[in-house]
Amino acid sequence: MPFALAESRLPLPLLRRGKVREVYEVGPDALLLVASDRVSAFDVVLPNPIPRKGAVLTQISAFWFGELRDVLPSHFLTADDDEIIARVPALASHRDQLSGRAMLCRRTTPFPIECVVRGYLSGSAWAEYRDRGTLAGEPMPRGLVESARLDRPIFSPATKADVGHDENITLDHARDIVGADRADQLRDASLKLYAAGRDRAATRGIIIADTKFEFGKTSEGTTLLIDEVLTPDSSRFWPADQYAPGRGQPSFDKQPLRDYLADLKKVGKWNGSAPGPDLPPEVVRATSDRYVDAYRRITGHDLPA
Amino acid sequence: MTPPRYESPLGTRYASSVMQALWSAEHRAGLWRRLWLALAEAERALGVPIPEDAIAGIRAHLDDADLAAVRVYEQRLRHDVMAHIHHLGDQAPAARPYLHLGATSCFVTDNADLIVLRDACGLLLGRLRRVLAALRELAITHADQPTVAYTHFQPALLTTVGKRATLWAFDFALDADALLRVLERLPFRGCKGATGTQASFVELFHGDAAKVRELDRRVAAAFGFTETVPVCGQTYSRKVDAQIVDAWAGLGQSGSKFGNDLRLLQHEGELLEPAESAQVGSSVMPYKRNPMRAERLCALSRYLVALRENTAYTAATQWLERTLDDSANRRLVLPDAAMAADALLILAADIGRGVEVRQSTVERNVTRVMPYMATERWLLLAVAAGGDRQSVHEVIRRHSWAARDAEDRGEPPSLLDRLAADPAFAKVDVARLRAELEPARYIGRSSSQVHEYVAEHLDPLLERLTPFATSDSAGVTV
Repeated sequence: MPFALAESRLPLPLLRRGKVREVYEVGPDALLLVASDRVSAFDVVLPNPIPRKGAVLTQISAFWFGELRDVLPSHFLTADDDEIIARVPALASHRDQLSGRAMLCRRTTPFPIECVVRGYLSGSAWAEYRDRGTLAGEPMPRGLVESARLDRPIFSPATKADVGHDENITLDHARDIVGADRADQLRDASLKLYAAGRDRAATRGIIIADTKFEFGKTSEGTTLLIDEVLTPDSSRFWPADQYAPGRGQPSFDKQPLRDYLADLKKVGKWNGSAPGPDLPPEVVRATSDRYVDAYRRITGHDLPA
Repeated sequence: MTPPRYESPLGTRYASSVMQALWSAEHRAGLWRRLWLALAEAERALGVPIPEDAIAGIRAHLDDADLAAVRVYEQRLRHDVMAHIHHLGDQAPAARPYLHLGATSCFVTDNADLIVLRDACGLLLGRLRRVLAALRELAITHADQPTVAYTHFQPALLTTVGKRATLWAFDFALDADALLRVLERLPFRGCKGATGTQASFVELFHGDAAKVRELDRRVAAAFGFTETVPVCGQTYSRKVDAQIVDAWAGLGQSGSKFGNDLRLLQHEGELLEPAESAQVGSSVMPYKRNPMRAERLCALSRYLVALRENTAYTAATQWLERTLDDSANRRLVLPDAAMAADALLILAADIGRGVEVRQSTVERNVTRVMPYMATERWLLLAVAAGGDRQSVHEVIRRHSWAARDAEDRGEPPSLLDRLAADPAFAKVDVARLRAELEPARYIGRSSSQVHEYVAEHLDPLLERLTPFATSDSAGVTV
């Protein structure tokens, strides 16, 4: 098993340590995003990192930034270790931490909303529909079942919460936050990006049920796609050959992990709150294999060693 | 308008952008600032009253040194380290009174050099890994392909194409061992003061020797070093540089042999280095396909091998606690050696990966020499059939020379027919003579040696080199 990185420690100013990622400052114009190998399930970060997970997330994002460039330009500069070190030589002593996990990006001012697009009825959207018959506050046709494919993908923005869960909001609320024109621009971009990604993934047997985009503005005023894009962590990936509406779907990447944890909960060995339980090596390995497979399925290439 | 400037071709043509970044003035300034940060943090942790905002000030300015502003200071002060300190003091005024506390210039210059040397060694091991992986592939793919072995560059017995590739791999593997040894033992200079006695730090910590040693350890640990030099004068021993450049120069030896071998074999038409489809060999001879990459590999290798004289003499000419004999020479030699090594390994990997084995030419060359290879066995067959060893030897010598003369005149190979018609071979079945012309019978354990070498030596080494893996975005500029 290759080395797994629980958290990066790089000789750059650390701006943020998120649930699974670190953001470092690289001068005034750039950021280094490092996806660690930490994994979360049921909203709890687990003690064992998953080998290669960080590299998979970063390289899937890098792939999509390239694929979607014509839909909207992004903040992506490079996710190639050598190219990163050539621009930030202080990282030369830390190649083991990079190993495909890091992405150098242009710095932007992020818009303070998460741009979620839903092509299927799942998660909090399913809960909202089941309870109130709406999605993002808009009325929906009656009789939809869990995991149903929506006729039209729905833009379903959310606030960015510093702590706890992001809160789903209506498009009108989003317009209040970022301005009407901007909100409409982000909605249109999100729907186009989702459609392009969904169609591409469909040819590879993966359903992207929903996903979250983030956008930022450069100092010149250009809107760029930022953060991670169409990764297993920012999206629900379902294996197309197992899709069956009317129930929850297996997750492409985290299912072995979820199954293991659900069993622990069932027999009362874990109460579902932090700290999460230690994962046995076979669960770690199976999850790692799923991520590496997701990279191969989406990009059509093996993850570079 | 800026005046025309000289630029080293190692930068403009040969070395990778990563290796150049390691030796850049910007990186050096960034490392010096990180060293000042680590020093202040460790001093503060050990009780020196340095305020937090001083430390935050350094941390906020790690990579934004304005080298033009530094130059203005340097012109006035005639001292590069003090120029950097003043410039950082301007950017982080809260840190200004505490910068470089207890340290000597060599605290930043020598320690930063050791960090760069270490990272350069790491990058070279990553490059070397690609070379070894390429040669491994070449060896395995052609493990069974008989080819003419040459001693004195004259046809000798046979070997295989893959077996020969292991010879190149073994040379480079020895270099990897040397580099790994250097890296494992590479110490940090640490915090030792102006003449290496740590006197200034003894003052700073009011005679608390344990804190002085702990400071040394902490600052080293901040940069991933587990050891500092146990003793030093003002500088760390320049033998350390010499040993590193010796290890790099080993790459030059191996690169040169590999490159020269390829050039010889390209002359024979057996192996061709990779070429672009639109590559021009000569402005006047359009048919030419020259081994230009291998030639460049040899040229850079020779440069690197020759550079080691400098580090050897620099170590030899240091006086007492230090002189400035080292300074200008190190500024030139250390980066040049690193970049030459980087460039030659990129070339070697490129050639190793793309080398074209012309199987038909290899076979034709083998066929041409086979009768001569077989003479020793034919001699034994004739003796076994009752012949006199010395007379048969003379018969074979006479026919060999005649057959070769005939071949030189353009006639087909004739040695076997000539011998079969000679009375000395009257009692030997021609079919038995012909059976001795099978090349596979002349390659000994070549194939097994390849597989044994790969399994027992090369693969474990490649595994050890995994942590140094590069992403291979460096290409050859042809």
